[in-house]
Amino acid sequence: MNLTLTHLFALLPLIIVGITVVVVMLSVACRRNHFLNATLSGCGLILALLSVFWVQCSDHGSQLPTLVSPMVAVDSYSLFYIGLILVAALACIVFAYAYFDRLKVHREEFYLLLLCSTLGAMVLVSAVHMASLFIGLELMSVPLYGMAAYIFKRQQSLEAGIKYLVLSAVASSFLLFGMALLFAAYGELGFAELGLKLVSVDYLDTWTIIGVGMMVIGLAFKLSVAPFHMWTSDVYEGAPAPVSAFLATVSKVAVFAVLVRFFILAPTFSVKLHTVIAVLAVLSMLTGNLLALRSHNIKRLLGYSSIAHLGYLLTAVVVLRSGVSDGAGELSESGQLVLEATGVYLVGYVLTSLGTFGVVALATHADSANRDTSELRGLAQRRPVLAVCMAFMLLSLAGIPLTAGFIGKFYVLALTVNGELWWLAASVIVGSAIGLYYYLRTIVELFLPTDDATVTAANGRGQALGALVVVIAAALTLWIGIFPEPIITMVNSALPVGL
Amino acid sequence: MLLPLIILLPLIGSLVPVLARRARRTPIALLTALLPGAALAITIWLGIQVLKGDILHFALPWVPQMGLALAFRFDGLSLLFTLLILGIGLLVIVYARYYLDPKDSMPKFYGFLMLFMTSMLGIVTSDNLMLLWFFWELTSVSSFLLISFWSWSSNARKGARMAFAVTGAGGLCLLASLMLMGHIVGSFSLDTVLHSGETLRQSPLYPLVLILLLLGAFTKSAQFPFQFWLPHAMSAPTPVSAYLHSATMVKAGIFLLIRLYPVMGDTNGWYYIITLTGLITMFYGAYMAMVQYDLKGLLAYSTISHLGLITMLLGLDTRLSTLAAVFHVVNHAIFKASLFMAVGIVDHECGTRDSRRLGGLRRYMPYTAALATVAGASMAGVPLLNGFISKEMFLTETLQIQSLGGLSWLIPALATLGSALSVAYSLRLVVDVFYRGEPRFLPKQPHEAPRPMRLPIEILIILCLAVGMFPSFTVGALLNSAMSVVATDAMSGQSLAVWHGINLPLMMSAAAMLLGLIIYLMRNILHSSFRRDFLKTDAKLVFERAVQKSIAFGERVLDRIDSRSLQQYMLVMMTLMLIMAVQGLVKMPGLMGPVALQPIDPFVLAGAIAMCIGAIATVNFQRYRLIALICLSITELMVALAFLKFSSPDLALTQLVVAPVTLILMLLTLFFLPQQTPRVSSGIRILRDLVLAAAVGTVIASINFAVLTDHYDSIGKFFTDNAVSGAGGHNVVNVILVDFRGFDTLGEITVLGITALGVLKLLNRMKLFVPTTSAENRPWAPEYFPTIFGSVAQIVLPLALMVAFYFFIRGHNLPGGGFIGGLVAASALIMMYTARGVEWTMRRLRIDFQRLIATGLLIAWLTSAAPLLFGHNFLTTWFDHFDIPLIGSLEIASALVFDLGVFLTVVGATMMILANLGRLATPYSPAREHRQIDGAMSAKKEMR
Repeated sequence: MNLTLTHLFALLPLIIVGITVVVVMLSVACRRNHFLNATLSGCGLILALLSVFWVQCSDHGSQLPTLVSPMVAVDSYSLFYIGLILVAALACIVFAYAYFDRLKVHREEFYLLLLCSTLGAMVLVSAVHMASLFIGLELMSVPLYGMAAYIFKRQQSLEAGIKYLVLSAVASSFLLFGMALLFAAYGELGFAELGLKLVSVDYLDTWTIIGVGMMVIGLAFKLSVAPFHMWTSDVYEGAPAPVSAFLATVSKVAVFAVLVRFFILAPTFSVKLHTVIAVLAVLSMLTGNLLALRSHNIKRLLGYSSIAHLGYLLTAVVVLRSGVSDGAGELSESGQLVLEATGVYLVGYVLTSLGTFGVVALATHADSANRDTSELRGLAQRRPVLAVCMAFMLLSLAGIPLTAGFIGKFYVLALTVNGELWWLAASVIVGSAIGLYYYLRTIVELFLPTDDATVTAANGRGQALGALVVVIAAALTLWIGIFPEPIITMVNSALPVGL
Repeated sequence: MLLPLIILLPLIGSLVPVLARRARRTPIALLTALLPGAALAITIWLGIQVLKGDILHFALPWVPQMGLALAFRFDGLSLLFTLLILGIGLLVIVYARYYLDPKDSMPKFYGFLMLFMTSMLGIVTSDNLMLLWFFWELTSVSSFLLISFWSWSSNARKGARMAFAVTGAGGLCLLASLMLMGHIVGSFSLDTVLHSGETLRQSPLYPLVLILLLLGAFTKSAQFPFQFWLPHAMSAPTPVSAYLHSATMVKAGIFLLIRLYPVMGDTNGWYYIITLTGLITMFYGAYMAMVQYDLKGLLAYSTISHLGLITMLLGLDTRLSTLAAVFHVVNHAIFKASLFMAVGIVDHECGTRDSRRLGGLRRYMPYTAALATVAGASMAGVPLLNGFISKEMFLTETLQIQSLGGLSWLIPALATLGSALSVAYSLRLVVDVFYRGEPRFLPKQPHEAPRPMRLPIEILIILCLAVGMFPSFTVGALLNSAMSVVATDAMSGQSLAVWHGINLPLMMSAAAMLLGLIIYLMRNILHSSFRRDFLKTDAKLVFERAVQKSIAFGERVLDRIDSRSLQQYMLVMMTLMLIMAVQGLVKMPGLMGPVALQPIDPFVLAGAIAMCIGAIATVNFQRYRLIALICLSITELMVALAFLKFSSPDLALTQLVVAPVTLILMLLTLFFLPQQTPRVSSGIRILRDLVLAAAVGTVIASINFAVLTDHYDSIGKFFTDNAVSGAGGHNVVNVILVDFRGFDTLGEITVLGITALGVLKLLNRMKLFVPTTSAENRPWAPEYFPTIFGSVAQIVLPLALMVAFYFFIRGHNLPGGGFIGGLVAASALIMMYTARGVEWTMRRLRIDFQRLIATGLLIAWLTSAAPLLFGHNFLTTWFDHFDIPLIGSLEIASALVFDLGVFLTVVGATMMILANLGRLATPYSPAREHRQIDGAMSAKKEMR
């Protein structure tokens, strides 16, 4: 296996982010300048983003999909999700700049961690092999422990980091164990090779089901799907807000993309396994929404709501039960719908999560430990623009028409109806109905009058830039809500290799 | 092409008030009214074509993937509703100009109102189910904005939230229903759906579709048991109530039922559910309206009651019931809007709408009194007014019901009773407020409302009278055209006449009047008993309680699984994993695979037992750290011996050397950690953890056993086959390290070097206080460096270094190698440090470990890169055999040089970590801290 220029070209986005890590590290070593290093990191990500377009569109792009090694494939699917991840990471950097600017800690290393984690996420979405899956996952998660505990002088933050570390290690061990079982059963670690073996056997033995099941548990943990969700709200609450945003967007997108890719390349067709996943999905929707109902802390609330949203999204994986190809190597209709639903939902979810967590990061104080919704009370008076964006994002999370969230919810419902999964459809509806209540409560809270005159609007270029990002996210959410066609076309062209 | 303008103009109109916000109040109102006025003109223009029997279509693709299109249709039904929405909307705009306080933001109000108007128009003109739903949800959102317009009021906020939560949840049900419909029919286009009635009714999913659809419609139209949100939406400004709860919002559900009646209706499920719901709602609403003190509350419940009536009509399976329903929609909209506006005037001019304080207002506001009287009479169903005609139709239809068999007479009887209640509360509203008694304790001196404020009511009253007296002339054509899309045969043989002769329905009407009067006169008795028995349940309280209950439920669940306790989380995760694995294991026929087991010899058995004892002892003595550490090392030793026994001496050697190094590291760490071990968990908790650990252990061990006794190909064979031929080494482990997996090793030692640097950096400015006593409160020995140990260590050092070198040099063929050699050398040096202390050793051993690491890495990288010079690939190895006199045959491989790099890096990294950590251990007390730092500084200088 030799690396040629074509391969390196396909890997360009990953390479650029890798180089950015080194550059930022050297720059931190030379001079501790918060603005400079944040800018460098941002520039690196922007360059990587540009290179994604370059790789996609250039002449070499016709050679896509490129199997860079048996482990990493750069195809339009991975490029699409890499793009999404880069955008999310970029936004997180902006929020982080605004958030940490007020803090008197060593702030520069944060960007190193963030970049490394982003790199891991990029590897993850390009993974077509268990090894690269694991490497990507760990590269993404390990910096996140540090990021969650970054303000280690605040006990909550430290606790969040440790909780995430310990539980994540357990989940990773499940994942590894599942991989080992699959390897023992089939002697293959590549998704596609595994898929071939899986297709050729008539009857799936117990090992396969346990193996895939363990892997699903491991990944479900990262996706914070109930009942492996317990860490979510604690970590979201304790971690600095930009880290929560990162957790809610980048890590979720990457893990979900690789999960879908795994099930596409190695379909198990096991009714039992998919029943388990369906149960997980239903549990997530109900648990997430019910728990959010009583939560008065905005970050906890968003954490719970993300559990519910991943539950909705998991429907896509349940539908993958029937595979995505129609037997003749072409994409089947339900497969098309799954990919479309996943892509569109994730885009909408990422945008709204970025927006909501962005507002939280911009509008709250980094050093205040107690962050309940009342801290956002009366935001409309202090920061009207942020408040309006926040309200709009919450509506999108609730799935109200003219928002990206609605388009996603529509797709999920279409999936359940097409797959005739009535229980799932019912829980999507019940879950969304409960969701309406607490999202509305939060929106109303934003516009309540407050007599707390001490809180003044913060200013500075970080705040301004952060507000700009929030506004852009809101505008995109609206745009996708009104005119989703371009996104749908984009998602449709982003097919994973092997189709 | 004019069709989309009907929706578009009001949408643009929602921006007009915002743009004109600097203008005075009257211009804003006029400007706002301009665009809907134009839309009304277009409607009338298009309506002429529709009345001729055309159905207008307009379609633009929007999101074809979702089946969503900007498709509008304009038929008789749309025309009827559009006229209501635009007409009453315009009147509300005029009315609101005088109703709103100067303090209220006019642009905001009008903007929201126009947005709401747009979404309502969208509902009635959509030709696509998804588009219809789109606008349906928009009405929820915009009504939320309108109801919470006075956002300073907690009641308004709560009412708005409740309205949105209920109608929004219903909207989701509707979405599911419409998607199912699209799934069955294969298209979301209303045209297609309207022609697929048979397909839908035959589908096995029909009951599901119907129930979801009805959930959507009933929540929107405030049907029992979802009626509770409507009275609380009364905290909205009165113009909003007049608009939302007469002609628009609540009629959306009714509209949907009428719209889909041709496809979904005509089944038993439809008839029974809808009739029953309508009946209950009608009575409930009428009942509650009788006992309200708040005038708007009275109107709200009367609205619920009338909506129930319409719903019931839709559910009746008689020929003309649908016509009656559509007709009553129009009539109700007209008289209810005027009543709301009249009550609004009372509220505005008197400052209260509590019926206990109002009375005899006729003397203060005669015009309003007259208008309200006519509207109230219409609601009561007095002849010559529009309410009368549709009520007559309603009574006529109830008489024709056959479906209940012998009990069919019950429906007309109940209908008469319902009408009687309607008469009673109309009397309450009109007589009690305007005619009887005197106003008491009014906040304001009541006076007549300004003329323009009365204008909308006057227009509506004229309509009341016109429709009531000349029904077929005024609305006949409209109804005809509306019915043509709903039920084609409905209009034939029906004349909208006022006078049908003296027949049974007329008698029933008269009876209802009389009964209503009696109920009105008995109202005080009713009041007290109703208040006592029924009114205790406030819908808001019930709703909030339901929410609270589910919150409490959530909280209970939360306390169970979301305790913020890491142990709890782990418990849940482990348990779930166990359940899953056990399920799989239970299904296995047997644990034992095809591979035979090896015989057990006494040594292995003894070793295994020792290993277990070591592990258990470690756990048992965990609070006594040193003892626990010793116990742990027993297990470690046994592992090393196991490696040796199962023929991997190399691993055994590594394990043997790694063990002491890590032990020293652990000792150093434990030394600095707080000496107090945390409180031990309670007995139950320990038991729980014990059971869990045992279970996990058993299950994992079983799985491992099953996997290991199964056949599988291992990659080991490749390495053993190729080690000598490919790399010229007999020690496969070392060959893998430096040759086959050389690239990995290269990466690993680089990481090791970086780690060491990281440790150096992290410990750089660390200040640790050295404890003087152990955990058991025994003081540490005052003598830190025993002489004998020091002397022995000095003698052993050169020997140990030689052993290290020996291991290193023979590594390629025999157990050993750079890694092991490096560790041996490092442990020898550490021994020196331990024996003589850091400062002593550093003064004599002037090795800069940073440089050592760098050298090692450099050697490794250069060796790897060297083949490039000869045109080979990175990391290609070279080896050959030489006969050297005295020593004999010696094989020299380039891998050896690479291994040297590994050796140096390992030594450097290990020493850097341990020596730095050890240096912190130099005893000092806080008082001598400064001197200590100076010492460290000078040591550092010396190192350089």
